[in-house]
Amino acid sequence: MLKRTNDQWLKDLQAEGELRESALAELRRMILNSLPYALSKWLPTGDPRFASLIEEVAQDTLLRVLNHLNTFEGRSQFTTWTQKIAVRIALTELRRKRWENVSLEGLIESDEGPILESLMVDHQASTPEELMERADLMRRVQRILVEELTEKQRQAMIAVAIRGMPLEEVARRVGTNRNALYKLMHDARLRLKRRLAQEGLTTDDILAVFENR
Amino acid sequence: MMSKENFLMKFFKRFTTSKQAAQITSPAPPPDEIMIRLLRMVENTDDVEIGCDEVFELLDRYVELEAQGGNVADLLPFVKKHLDRCRDCHEEYDALVRVLEATSQQN
Repeated sequence: MLKRTNDQWLKDLQAEGELRESALAELRRMILNSLPYALSKWLPTGDPRFASLIEEVAQDTLLRVLNHLNTFEGRSQFTTWTQKIAVRIALTELRRKRWENVSLEGLIESDEGPILESLMVDHQASTPEELMERADLMRRVQRILVEELTEKQRQAMIAVAIRGMPLEEVARRVGTNRNALYKLMHDARLRLKRRLAQEGLTTDDILAVFENR
Repeated sequence: MMSKENFLMKFFKRFTTSKQAAQITSPAPPPDEIMIRLLRMVENTDDVEIGCDEVFELLDRYVELEAQGGNVADLLPFVKKHLDRCRDCHEEYDALVRVLEATSQQN
């Protein structure tokens, strides 16, 4: 079969009847063939349920592609653009499933209370001087975290940066989207960076103390 | 007919186990490690960063450029930096690269 150009893909997918059917069938085949590579780190391809998952992802991808044809700007191959959409749909579902039984609240709280508010210096392997220095720095950073960040920002920082929950999952649970959450966290990081500078602290200096560099 | 959402919920229910959840919810790291992770994030912060939506818009172009040997760090530096910072976007980049590598080997 001849490879379609981007223009041919767009033309065929917007056509009626057989041309469109044939283009859709080809895209579907391509998605089904490539998802095993995309998801190889996520779900074993030998799993008999894998086939149903990629079939569902392929269907959702084709729907989304048809609904967003006018947003394709031709900056890449049409097929790469389609694969990108398939990857996003597949990983979104897999992330949702993987974190389904984990509560955001449970990640943010420790037995002693909110994680960031209850940090205690690790007493192991430290001289009294090191211990005092660490305790002092930890108190200062904790104070800055509380004063500079909103509760939402602190929650996001803990869930994503410390507990490893995907941005997308955190966003879904707090009723926002991934892009907005990234921007919220960027704002938080900037605030912390500027406040540390105002207090004459650099991340390098603090890291040196905590990493024993 | 079963809706797509219902199908996916039923489908995934079959292979969800509480064991998976237990693996994810390991105890919080020690306080020193928490400090280090937070500070590393702050350290890698630029005044201007692009968001996940902009990266998604450019991701197909980015992986193609990279596959053609283009210096993406120079050509699309904001995307490169975002991928270094954002685990979600990096996972999608990584998956798309594997697809492209597999496809190019087949052609």
